[in-house]
Amino acid sequence: MNSDRILHRMASRNPLRQPMQHSLSRRTFMQALAAGTAAASLPLAAQAQTRPLSLLTWDAYADPRLLALWKEQTGGDIRYEIHISDPSSVNRLRAGETSVWDFVNLNNPWARGELWPAGLIRELPRDRFEPLYAQMKPKFVAPYPWAMSEDGNHLLGIVQRYETFDFVVNSDVISPQLAKDEGWDLFNNPDFTGRYGILAYEDWNVMDICMGAGVHPFKVKTDEEVAKFEETAKRWIQNAKLITTDFVQLNLAILNGEIDLYFTGGTYTTAAARLEGVSNLYAITPNSGPADGKGGINWIEINSAVANPDPLDAAFDFLEFITTPDAAEIVARGNGNFQPVAQMANPELMARFSTEELAAIQWDEFDERVSNAVEFDIVPDYDRLYDIYSAAMRARG
Amino acid sequence: MMRRNPGFWFALPLIAAMLLFFAAPLVIVVWFSLMPPRSFDLTTDFGLQNYQSAFADGYGPPLMWSLIGATLTTAITAALAWPTAKILHRHAGRWASIVTALIALPIFISESVRLFGLSVFLMPGGGILAGTLKALFDVQIGTILNTRFAALLGMVYIHFPFMLFPMLLGVGMIPADRIEAAQDLGAGRWAILREVELPLAAPGLLVGGLLTFVLCLGANAEAAILGGRAVTVITAAIEQRFNYAQDWPMGAALTVLVILVTAALVFPAVRRIDLNRIIRR
Repeated sequence: MNSDRILHRMASRNPLRQPMQHSLSRRTFMQALAAGTAAASLPLAAQAQTRPLSLLTWDAYADPRLLALWKEQTGGDIRYEIHISDPSSVNRLRAGETSVWDFVNLNNPWARGELWPAGLIRELPRDRFEPLYAQMKPKFVAPYPWAMSEDGNHLLGIVQRYETFDFVVNSDVISPQLAKDEGWDLFNNPDFTGRYGILAYEDWNVMDICMGAGVHPFKVKTDEEVAKFEETAKRWIQNAKLITTDFVQLNLAILNGEIDLYFTGGTYTTAAARLEGVSNLYAITPNSGPADGKGGINWIEINSAVANPDPLDAAFDFLEFITTPDAAEIVARGNGNFQPVAQMANPELMARFSTEELAAIQWDEFDERVSNAVEFDIVPDYDRLYDIYSAAMRARG
Repeated sequence: MMRRNPGFWFALPLIAAMLLFFAAPLVIVVWFSLMPPRSFDLTTDFGLQNYQSAFADGYGPPLMWSLIGATLTTAITAALAWPTAKILHRHAGRWASIVTALIALPIFISESVRLFGLSVFLMPGGGILAGTLKALFDVQIGTILNTRFAALLGMVYIHFPFMLFPMLLGVGMIPADRIEAAQDLGAGRWAILREVELPLAAPGLLVGGLLTFVLCLGANAEAAILGGRAVTVITAAIEQRFNYAQDWPMGAALTVLVILVTAALVFPAVRRIDLNRIIRR
């Protein structure tokens, strides 16, 4: 294990660096504003070409190699800002930033549940984009419901990164087989009081606590189920050793022996460290659970075109571009992380990954994990459950 | 018209800018705080439910932790900054300017980077402190990370310069001959501190205190990075409402309450500061 490399990665991946990103992008925004003012006298067509393609995105799509490849292929510039969370980016679009962004990628429930009904994203031409689904893993066969509007008539995005996101154990302390069999009950086990952490991706935490309380996260809850959720939420939050928004801190806490496991976590939080040899960080998807017999939750990122009042053709071009093997490879390895992509069904892309890389994403059991998971959905009683969760957080101290 | 009241006309652009960029956002926040919970539009459907929830739903402890954190940090940084300022002032011109620069420089580095550095320092096992002690002296130590104390330590670490520099100004306002006169008249050290130095340096102390207190009231990163959320501070609770709860009106109501609490604490102190006196020096 190369600990200084891990420390270096830790420093470079601190998610709390986002205030800096903000100031940077604010500066870029002001520059764009100035450029926009200067260009105001140009004809409309010329103006459209002066604006860089703007991505509100996760960090894999901000990888400099991806931006360089795009520049090389199209000559176009890209500017980007990295999400803090799904809901905060939805807030920004709602608050009028549709005029700022061209591209947005959020987890699967948001596109059809919030962005499309609120008029924040554009419909994609099906004849152009549906064939791209034929190159993906079979579960994404078109029409793929999460990429469609509720009525099934409009294509809202293109699928790329996905995985099941549940919890992570130190496999030197807890055997993966035992963890899969025990599932969420590990966090109910008094032996692990004060021995686990929580990655505060809070909407995920709410779903995980449902699982731990034996409640289906995506079905309407009875009062009795809400009471079970409340009891579990209070206990889990109170008994956590640490709660943070930074998964590297949790990985380090496992390495330093402070904790033995944490939720929420998965390939996204472990792959980079595993690739560097920390193979005892092990992503677990329970073999069973209360969600129609399943215990895992599967997220699928939907890449969409923002309903910018000044739409760029390049937004559609970019959506197509990211599915090409060269771009998809960069996205899978985006910004030092490593994440499965739907395009790995394509042998040409698959051949580019080494045995070590596939071991880092636990590829041999990936399909099994995905099949043991339900798909991320809107939690019907989310507001009520979230209020209980956040009250439990406040009560922690 | 312009001749009779030129000051007003020249101030007009500034007044307009203040109304647009300072007053208008505040009005929007207050307006949102009166909207129905979890709504996204500004309408005339005013109500006080968010304020009722703010008092009923356990937001007292986060506000209390923020106030306690701000008060303790202000007191601790003041206790540390006073002797530091005195020493730096006495040795001004020599190595003092280097020390001052060393204290000032970290301000230019992002707060979260500095806190993360402190986190790496305090980490158990392979952390800088624990790892060094283990390697050099074979001493095994635990960690204070993920505790309230760690959050407080982070607050003191981050906010010390904000107390120190106004304090330096304050200490600079004490004429040396006053202290000599007090000594000649038989005053002891404590009497000089109490009767001469503190009253003369009070403006600097108050400015430093206010700056530190208000910044700490809005601090969030220390509890998040070093405290492992052992405490939830009010700004974290507000962020939760705006973010994962998608409840802008409730977040706005909490924001308004924090502004009111801050104003109630800060305005009486501001009234006692004579800025002219500081500038005249």
